[in-house]
Amino acid sequence: MLCIEAKSIFRSYGNVTAVDGIDLSVESGKIFGFLGPNGAGKTTTMKLLTTLIPPSSGSITILGIDASRHPLDVRKKIGVVLQQPSYEPTLTVEKSLEKYGMMWDVDAKTRRKRVEELLTAFDLQDIRKKKNDDISIGQRRRVQVAREFMHDMDLLFLDEPTAGLDPSARRGLLDYIKGKVRDGLTIFFTTHILEEAEYLCDEIAIINRGKIIAVDTPDELKNKFGREKTIKIRIGKVEQDLSSILQEVGDYDILHDEGTVITIHSADSEQVLVKILQVLQSNNITIEDLSVVPTSLEEIFLTVVKNSNESNISSGK
Amino acid sequence: MNPIFRLVNRNLTISLNMGFVIWQVIFPVIYIFVAGFAYTALIHNVPFGSKSLNYPAFIASGMIGFNIMNSTLISGIIIWNDRRHGMFEQILVGPFTRAQYILSNVYTIGIIGLVSAGLITAIGYPIFFTSVQFSILTIPLVVFASMTGAILFGSIASIISTRLKSSEGFNVVINTVFLFFAFVSTAFYPAQGAPPILATAFYLNPLTYLVDVVRAGIFGNFTGTVGYEMVVLTVLAVVFFVIATKLLSKLEL
Ligand SMILES: Nc1ncnc2c1ncn2[C@@H]1O[C@H](COP(=O)(O)OP(=O)(O)OP(=O)(O)O)[C@@H](O)[C@H]1O
Ligand SMILES: [Mg+2]
Repeated sequence: MLCIEAKSIFRSYGNVTAVDGIDLSVESGKIFGFLGPNGAGKTTTMKLLTTLIPPSSGSITILGIDASRHPLDVRKKIGVVLQQPSYEPTLTVEKSLEKYGMMWDVDAKTRRKRVEELLTAFDLQDIRKKKNDDISIGQRRRVQVAREFMHDMDLLFLDEPTAGLDPSARRGLLDYIKGKVRDGLTIFFTTHILEEAEYLCDEIAIINRGKIIAVDTPDELKNKFGREKTIKIRIGKVEQDLSSILQEVGDYDILHDEGTVITIHSADSEQVLVKILQVLQSNNITIEDLSVVPTSLEEIFLTVVKNSNESNISSGK
Repeated sequence: MNPIFRLVNRNLTISLNMGFVIWQVIFPVIYIFVAGFAYTALIHNVPFGSKSLNYPAFIASGMIGFNIMNSTLISGIIIWNDRRHGMFEQILVGPFTRAQYILSNVYTIGIIGLVSAGLITAIGYPIFFTSVQFSILTIPLVVFASMTGAILFGSIASIISTRLKSSEGFNVVINTVFLFFAFVSTAFYPAQGAPPILATAFYLNPLTYLVDVVRAGIFGNFTGTVGYEMVVLTVLAVVFFVIATKLLSKLEL
């Protein structure tokens, strides 16, 4: 079943088109990652999908419900952690969880149980009696995320939930989310930390300037965009002038530090490698070390966004 | 539970603290005693319709009206804080509508207004004991004043809270406006005997109408003028409520 189905949605603020004709489909039980540079339109998309703001045009169906016709029915079934902090300054940490559960009409017994679970899961036991005004920004973020798990939901939207969290809190949160997904929750998730997306997401969409420029599984994205493999060859000191020997090969860089490192960065790295090896061998140059640098999602992200910006410029946008 | 009541529950939880109780109940009671008795030496009797009230009774009843107005500050503060601390968006992305959010604020100030007016009446009762003339109209009139007052002044506070950006601005504006309402009214001094300009200004102020209705209820002095004041209060409450609701529902997210 499709949890989120959006068809050509647009949204502008004044003359800024924040979301420029997006299509999305997210299957239930999956973690969907939404990546993109600052100002790309991630938060705006999330506000549209959660019915906080209406689209200028396009249709949105959430959990089978038409979002523009029955926004309240949608909101009753989803959880949302916005990018913007939100808290009740005068309430203690435990009271803010408790009251949030009350607002969602969770019965008192379940509330008490969940408050304890969440205080432990989000490492908040030590500060449970402190007021939200008197805790750190990262702690407040943890309360904000924990709070959302006070109520039942079928779909959870998280807009940069790990922003401001320390590495162990971040890992704790990601693992908590994974556990919830095993129990059947679907997650729509934005982040700027690409390892996080790689660790967590079943599918990733990259958005730039209001348009989706790539959607796929992390592995497929790497296959598609990660063909520019990087290979490093370290050789010993050489007398000859490497550039003239390697003249006809192309597609490489030479770096001199203690030894010499030839870096191949190309869509056909393998073929370039074979040629370089032949040249090195015929000149009796020994190879000390050879390594392949795996493509990270980060590189793909940078490539895809760069390509998209360039094609925008060339098409005069 | 109904979503509006869940929001009211939350509003009361975040608003009720010691500072608020002092401001809302203890301060008015002290004021009634101190000012009431200190000024008695200067102001012996206040003519009120066909009878004459002693000053402490006059000021205690005025304080109830003032208190109803004051409790609506809560609505402005809630909206203001919700916007500043992100709870406005969080609530609206939850299982609530904007209309429910607005109504929950009206109910909250209605409850706070009624309870604190009740407390002040109970504590102030010995003071205006001699002049009180309870009738079948007393409770309906006081409740009417509390409800229209809560809606009217709550809407004014909400309008201010949706229009201002900085928190200093909010506090300065809302305190100035409410202080002006309080002192240019018949809450603390009678219109009779005041310079004509001031007396006229008193009657351009909805708090005067509110206080007059409360006094009519407590001292059993329902007249045609009071009926007219009730109509004005109702019309103003409706108009300001519509404006506040419009502004709140247009608030950008
Ligand atoms: N309330 C607003 N009023 C006017 N313009 C806005 C508003 N919110 C966003 N924008 C504009 O819409 C575009 C998309 O913003 P959005 O917040 O969706 O970006 P984002 O991808 O979430 O960025 P970030 O990574 O910084 O959170 C930006 O150009 C931004 O300037
Ligand atoms: Mg954002």
